[in-house]
Amino acid sequence: MFHMGWFMGTGFGVYNWNQRWSGNVSSDVGNPQLFVDMATSLERAGFSYMMLEDSSVLPNVHRGTFESSVKNGGTIRFDPVPLIPFLTQATKNIGIVATISTSFYHPFMAARLFSTLDHVTNGRVGMNLVTSSNKSAMQNYGLKDLIPHDERYDRANEWVDVVKALWNSWDEDAVLMDEVNGVFADHTKVHTVDFEGKYYRSRGPLNTIPGPQRHPVICQAGGSDAGREFGARNADTIIAAVKGVEEMKSYRDDVSARMIAMGRDPKDVKVLFLISPVLADSKAAAEEKNAAMLKASAENIDAQVAGFSYFTSTDWSKYDYDEPFPDLSKNEGHQSTMNDFARSGATIREAVTNHRTQESVPLIGTPESIATEMGEYMDYAGGDGFLIAKPVTRQNITEIADGLAPALRKQGLIRPSYEHSTFRDNLLAY
Amino acid sequence: MTDKFHLGWFTNFAPPVWEGQFSGQNGATWANGKFYQDMARSLERARFDYIMLEDSSMVSDAYEGSSRADLKHHLYAPKHDPLPLMPLLAAATKNLGIVATASTSFYPPYQLARTMTTLDHLTGGRAGWNIVTSSEDRAAQNYGRATLEEHDSRYDRADEFVEVVDKLWNSWEPGALLMDRETGQYVDHTKVHPIHHDGQFYTVRGPLNAMPGPQRKPVICQAGGSPRGRQFAAEHADTIIAQSRGVERMKAYRDDIRARATAAGRNPDDIKVLFIVSPLVAATDEEAQEIWAARTVSAEANVERALAHLSALTEVDFSKFDLDEPVPGDVTTNGHRTTLAEFLKLGDDGRTLREVAAGWNINAVDLVGSVDTVADQMGEVMAHVGGDGFLISGPMTRPYIGEVTEGLVPALQARGLTRTDYLTAGANGAPTFRDNLLAF
Amino acid sequence: MFHLGWFLSFSTQAWHAPHSDRGGLFPNTDVYVDFARALERAGFDYLMIEDGSFIPDAYGSSMEHSLRTGFASPKHDPMALVPLLAASTEKIGLIATMTTSFYPPFLAARLMTTLDHLSGGRVGFNLVTAHNDRTAQNYGMDKHWDHSERYAIATDWAQAVTALLTSWDEDAVVDDTVNGVYADHTKIHQTDYAGDYFSSRGPLNVPPGPQRIPVICQAGGSPVGRAFASRFADTIVAPSGSIEWMKQYRTDIRAGLVDAGRDPDAVKVLFLTDFIIGDTHEDALELQRRRHAAMVADIEGRLAYMSFASGIDFSTFDLDAPVPPVSTNAAKTTTAQMFAGREHQTLREIASTIIPSLEIVGSPATAADQMEAVMAEVGGDGFLVNSPITPRAIADIAGDLAPELRRRGLIRSEYTADTLRGNLTAY
Repeated sequence: MFHMGWFMGTGFGVYNWNQRWSGNVSSDVGNPQLFVDMATSLERAGFSYMMLEDSSVLPNVHRGTFESSVKNGGTIRFDPVPLIPFLTQATKNIGIVATISTSFYHPFMAARLFSTLDHVTNGRVGMNLVTSSNKSAMQNYGLKDLIPHDERYDRANEWVDVVKALWNSWDEDAVLMDEVNGVFADHTKVHTVDFEGKYYRSRGPLNTIPGPQRHPVICQAGGSDAGREFGARNADTIIAAVKGVEEMKSYRDDVSARMIAMGRDPKDVKVLFLISPVLADSKAAAEEKNAAMLKASAENIDAQVAGFSYFTSTDWSKYDYDEPFPDLSKNEGHQSTMNDFARSGATIREAVTNHRTQESVPLIGTPESIATEMGEYMDYAGGDGFLIAKPVTRQNITEIADGLAPALRKQGLIRPSYEHSTFRDNLLAY
Repeated sequence: MTDKFHLGWFTNFAPPVWEGQFSGQNGATWANGKFYQDMARSLERARFDYIMLEDSSMVSDAYEGSSRADLKHHLYAPKHDPLPLMPLLAAATKNLGIVATASTSFYPPYQLARTMTTLDHLTGGRAGWNIVTSSEDRAAQNYGRATLEEHDSRYDRADEFVEVVDKLWNSWEPGALLMDRETGQYVDHTKVHPIHHDGQFYTVRGPLNAMPGPQRKPVICQAGGSPRGRQFAAEHADTIIAQSRGVERMKAYRDDIRARATAAGRNPDDIKVLFIVSPLVAATDEEAQEIWAARTVSAEANVERALAHLSALTEVDFSKFDLDEPVPGDVTTNGHRTTLAEFLKLGDDGRTLREVAAGWNINAVDLVGSVDTVADQMGEVMAHVGGDGFLISGPMTRPYIGEVTEGLVPALQARGLTRTDYLTAGANGAPTFRDNLLAF
Repeated sequence: MFHLGWFLSFSTQAWHAPHSDRGGLFPNTDVYVDFARALERAGFDYLMIEDGSFIPDAYGSSMEHSLRTGFASPKHDPMALVPLLAASTEKIGLIATMTTSFYPPFLAARLMTTLDHLSGGRVGFNLVTAHNDRTAQNYGMDKHWDHSERYAIATDWAQAVTALLTSWDEDAVVDDTVNGVYADHTKIHQTDYAGDYFSSRGPLNVPPGPQRIPVICQAGGSPVGRAFASRFADTIVAPSGSIEWMKQYRTDIRAGLVDAGRDPDAVKVLFLTDFIIGDTHEDALELQRRRHAAMVADIEGRLAYMSFASGIDFSTFDLDAPVPPVSTNAAKTTTAQMFAGREHQTLREIASTIIPSLEIVGSPATAADQMEAVMAEVGGDGFLVNSPITPRAIADIAGDLAPELRRRGLIRSEYTADTLRGNLTAY
């Protein structure tokens, strides 16, 4: 069996505004109901988690204005953290992961907030840690410029150490609630942390009691060398954006090797690979659907390129789209994604037209045929599952939850039901 | 003068599509009501006026003299009581009207009046009752009769039934509820009256022991194609489900209903006639046509389902006829007369029973195309007919419901053809189902 | 008519006392959901969740007392609870405490706007500068900023946040499906805020919520605190005392608002009030007597509270000697009030004296009489219930007292607005 998740590309955002099959998305903006319906649907399908991506910037790099950002609402992102209780209140088992930036949250605040959320969600919350890759986002926080890529990870490692130390500041048996002797908690089991690091200091202890998971799940994405080290060291689940089944396998093997070198058991991290399956009643219909999507994307190349401007904090509208993809290996933003494109030797237009960044392997067909392929890829790669990376629309959700998932279940590839009550336990169950 | 028309969805509390590629776990879980709760939310997002839950109380063995086909295709069983589903749908929504079917042949009027009043409170003024007289002997046999009452007699009974429940719903005057702390009086007994009904079919003393709900009287829905049925509908209904085929007959039906309503002293604008359709929408017209064609082919190979359904409706065993001969002409029913008549008419062009059964539907017009094409078509049909809207019916899958609510309705709204918002205030405070129905 | 609020903590609720809800023991959140619904049924304007990020250890120079008794610890992050309450209610206002000292302005503005959307315009934020050194040490500082600097920071913070909250013009969202434009980029502006303490480029990456700028709540009796409130607050959590004192307080606040160029009627002052409700007036008086006796008997608890507010370890002082002059960088006004005019009293006498604050004691009817009289004398604007959430307290206040107030037309019979600000300023 493997795990399923959903990577929500613009988090608590606006998906497919003004497109066919998306309903009247305007009334959904800032409204939790679409995401609540998504959570109940994915729980029906036995998903392990939903992951709300996030970022703290409204880009105005492309052509130097906000126009491309707000034309279709696609870069709007509400803070994903307050959405979490809405989703867990409507469900029982599915895990909810929200992205927070180690650059913007002080570790004490994050530790306290997520400890509290662990209670509010009955043990189903996780945090996806990013270090923030965008200059404008840093400037929103009054920070002058991007911190160099590798230093960001040094800070992030220390940040995690502080958070975990704070989560451990109460021993497991500190809370007594002894009414006979009138003792709520035993002070000898609650400890200051006195963390003195290169980047962070915190005295502790937390003033929250440990939640059901004690340590909320930690998620991470980031394929650079420093990113992989960070994931292997700290994460419980890793999101991988790679190309092809060979890279899937080598990524999983690499994570395992790094973990072993650190003294961790590789089974303690679940690596999930991004996919964007195109589903239909027949293979032919699915191929047609796929062709139509690529055509629409090619016709709207400017919107795609605006995305690159955002990723790299450079204005791509200045490039000739029919020239080869520029080499951005030194780019301080999203390193691995840009490297993939540069290596492919394609022009910008070709790269945009033929690629979807959000898929490790192409999957085009019926629920049954795709389920079979997914099983084969997972067998080869060695674990641990897939993340759907399609836009969050009700039609996409039901295709996956009521089409693909039952087919996966029928082939014994995903869980028939949840065995445990916390997210962490369900994630690490296999 | 508005161009807007109304939307409803016609379904029942029974299994949705369970065996398709996109049916999830529908087959195993539908009876917990959640599929229908999610559907109600979708309909509300699309600003539908109502969801209508039809009903019947029998397992049919009309086809082949056995229940095999009925249960294989889950046509009439399992079908669960829609009344208890209403509060769940209400809890998932705020504005959607919720109509459930109850038979005048089998419900004691006092019980129906009380249940409906209770539901009007529980739904915040959004309850509706679809009146049927029932149409199957097998159902009658579940209630202690050898056969169903004859067609016209059923309607006589229904007339009196409606008279009784109306009296019961009016047995509490407005202002009966006092809550006077000074005198410690909850209800003023001088405003609550027995009805002392003594009629041909019913003797009912009253008064109702339930206080009037926000609507005082639930929305009345009715389908009735026969002359007797049309008269009944014109006299009593707030909304009518119409099965006429083609724009001319649609218009004729509506005009007839309106004329009858006027003759009965009612304002014809108070009755919303909704025509059954099953729109098939896709990304392009070509794609929709392809899907339609493929469905027809598939239906011809699987014609048993249609014939079993028809047999159950009419209690005529269609398995007795040769599938590849023309449609038989001399068939009658005590059940759904109009449906049978419409079906038989389809054979007028000489097609075989198989062909006709495969293509049989109760749609007023065929709607096949892109969402823009279909939206335009719906607008044109309504302009010709004069009103009042469409009752959607179709394969019960989440993707199909989504194609309508997330795809077709936005196209209708963009054209100003359906509402973008419910009323924020009603005739007496918070808007009710009836308020929204009468809004245009 | 006057307004009602409830002042609470997201912490243990009388876990050890009679009337505590054993079935809903901390950290069970169901209790808060039920509570919010009960207040909404009773027509309260808002519930206000105070907060702090440290475990008190001033008393006895140890966390022992606090952890043993559950006093002011544990305390969970109210930002995690507000969404749950928003999902479970429709009209009542939800105010959560946020510290200006440690929330980056961009994060705060974005969180506020998101919550404004999620709650349909019903959130507010109680701005505090954070209490003491221990809080600062959790955030990596050796000591907290001194009191007046904290407020200078808070002022800069509020300006930065306001700039971000207004970075999208009111009509930036056009939702034009014909031309395919969701929002007009010419109506979205970089803020480029640069203050003494904070800078933020902006804009926010979210459109404004129903309130655009959520309700701001503030407590803080010091001069700098009041100045801050005059500029930014929509509702003020006021300490209570004698009627004269309360009347003067409100008058001063309103004068300060006028000086700041604001309409005093737009800001509602709610006074922290203790309620003791009994079936009859006599029953209530008896309950009051017992409550006071218990408080007085719990010297340790009283001293712990004083240590918490001031940061001073009163366990080291001689109980039966007068108290030397004290000052604090923590809760200035509260500390000052404890000792004002008591230089000759012993610590024991001071600890045994209940600090005068408003107590409403009676049956629902006589309590309503008192509340009406207080409001008539003070001028407005309402009461903030200061009580742990026990089934008894909810039943007495939301279940018995509020309906009585409603019957007399002293509080709203229904919510007339959809947003918190709308309902607060309805009268």
